[in-house]
Amino acid sequence: MLTVEAKNVDFYYSDFHALKNISLEVEKNKVVAFIGPSGCGKSTFLRILNRMNDLIDGTRMTGSVLIEGEDIYAPNVRVDELRKKVGMVFQKPNPFPKTIFENIAYGLRVNGIKDNSFIEQRVEESLKSAALWDEVKDKLKKSAFALSGGQQQRLCIARALAISPKVVLMDEPASALDPISTAKIEELIYELKKDYTIIIVTHNMQQASRVSDKTAYFYLGELIEYDDTTKIFTNPQKESTQNYITGRFG
Amino acid sequence: MTPLDKTSKIDKRKRRSQFIAFTLFKLMSYSVVAMLILILGFITTKGIGVINWEFLTTAPQEGMTKGGIYPAIIGTLVLVLGSSLFSFPIGIMSGIYMNEYATNSKLAAFIRVMTNNLSGVPSVVFGLFGMALFVNTMGFGDSILAGSLTLGLLSLPLVIRTTEESLKAIDFSFREGSLALGATKLQTIRKVILPMAFPNIITGLILSIGRVSGETAPILFTVAAYFLPKLPHSIFDQVMALPYHLYVISTSGTDIEASRGIAYGTALVLIAIVLIVNLLANFLRTFFSKRVKMN
Repeated sequence: MLTVEAKNVDFYYSDFHALKNISLEVEKNKVVAFIGPSGCGKSTFLRILNRMNDLIDGTRMTGSVLIEGEDIYAPNVRVDELRKKVGMVFQKPNPFPKTIFENIAYGLRVNGIKDNSFIEQRVEESLKSAALWDEVKDKLKKSAFALSGGQQQRLCIARALAISPKVVLMDEPASALDPISTAKIEELIYELKKDYTIIIVTHNMQQASRVSDKTAYFYLGELIEYDDTTKIFTNPQKESTQNYITGRFG
Repeated sequence: MTPLDKTSKIDKRKRRSQFIAFTLFKLMSYSVVAMLILILGFITTKGIGVINWEFLTTAPQEGMTKGGIYPAIIGTLVLVLGSSLFSFPIGIMSGIYMNEYATNSKLAAFIRVMTNNLSGVPSVVFGLFGMALFVNTMGFGDSILAGSLTLGLLSLPLVIRTTEESLKAIDFSFREGSLALGATKLQTIRKVILPMAFPNIITGLILSIGRVSGETAPILFTVAAYFLPKLPHSIFDQVMALPYHLYVISTSGTDIEASRGIAYGTALVLIAIVLIVNLLANFLRTFFSKRVKMN
């Protein structure tokens, strides 16, 4: 079953043609890694999937993106409802200046949920899914800013999970973290794919090969190669891919 | 001998210029504090003698050479409150609109230019404008309403600007984080951005209060009474106000020499009000900073 289907996506920042005719499909409960040198368009493409690029002035997109069969760029689509379905974790941990509890509860509250016992239950479940519960269960009323960078990032993952998205987008989620925190996030991704479809942008080749089922290699706004991760890393079909993964450029 | 071997001489020279520069900076900042203390000390020593409970709670008597300044204190407080009721909501909402909704639009740029220009307009011009518009055209007469609106106009640019700057200082990642969870823009502003910006906005509001309470020119033609020893009953009444009272008894009172003490007393009360308001601002700032769990 397909969770994400992008067809002939072109994207422009004003005059800059950032994505060129991208078509890509993601199956349910898989982890897909987007790799490629800086400026290749992988983050731009990621942000197309929850319409985060709408926030940037002067951008334009053509083509279509279906999430669970629904065209997310159709005129009648409510962007806030789409983003409930397609969660996102950012490069830099960005918890709100609220308590740990309220950080997780936020997504539920803004989506109109008032039932406190349900919220409490979701907070606990989400923190457990993000492997953070044991570390924070005694300080849920403390500020999220008191957590370490790695804990903050797992809090942001828990925050995204709390509203039960179908897809979780991760934009270099471990690039600002130390190796131990990075390892935790990677373990987490492995666990999460049982319940979620995950798309992760990463600069770290080992990370892509460790966590993902499929890998997409972007270069200069084009999707050069998209295949099973083992194949991309052992037997890539394109020379550009080969050069990038062996570190000859990028 | 390469240039690098001569560094000990250069080192000495750069240390000396650093010493001179820092000494200069230090002297300048100390002299600012010294001037401030001088002014405060001067006003306090001259004015403290006339301050007592009676001075604060009775009206001026015998051609404003005796009695107190109670109506002027109340008048100033009423005008501050009135102008705030007008400028705070309009200013804050405009600031939000400009930073959150119309960031790069031509309209926002236009509003920004206009508010910047507005803040450069001399206050006496506001006074004239207020007289023309509120007192005459709209027919409010010399009244609390006309004076409050005029003072509100005066403080509006400051309120808009501090609101906009406070919002701008909040990193975009907080907005992204909220929107990515399915929050609307309004929810994002209300639940994440405004609470974070609030301590700084409060500071701006309080600064504008400080400015409003000390202005004479805008109230001159719109509300201030030369001598009115009773309290206002409605927003269409005139009031006395501290800065104008100070001006009157120092320049055109019935007996300027005899009112000298009262003038210093009035100045001291005015300064004290501004100081109290500033302390309140600091308190509120800390209070709201703690409420948004920054650490």
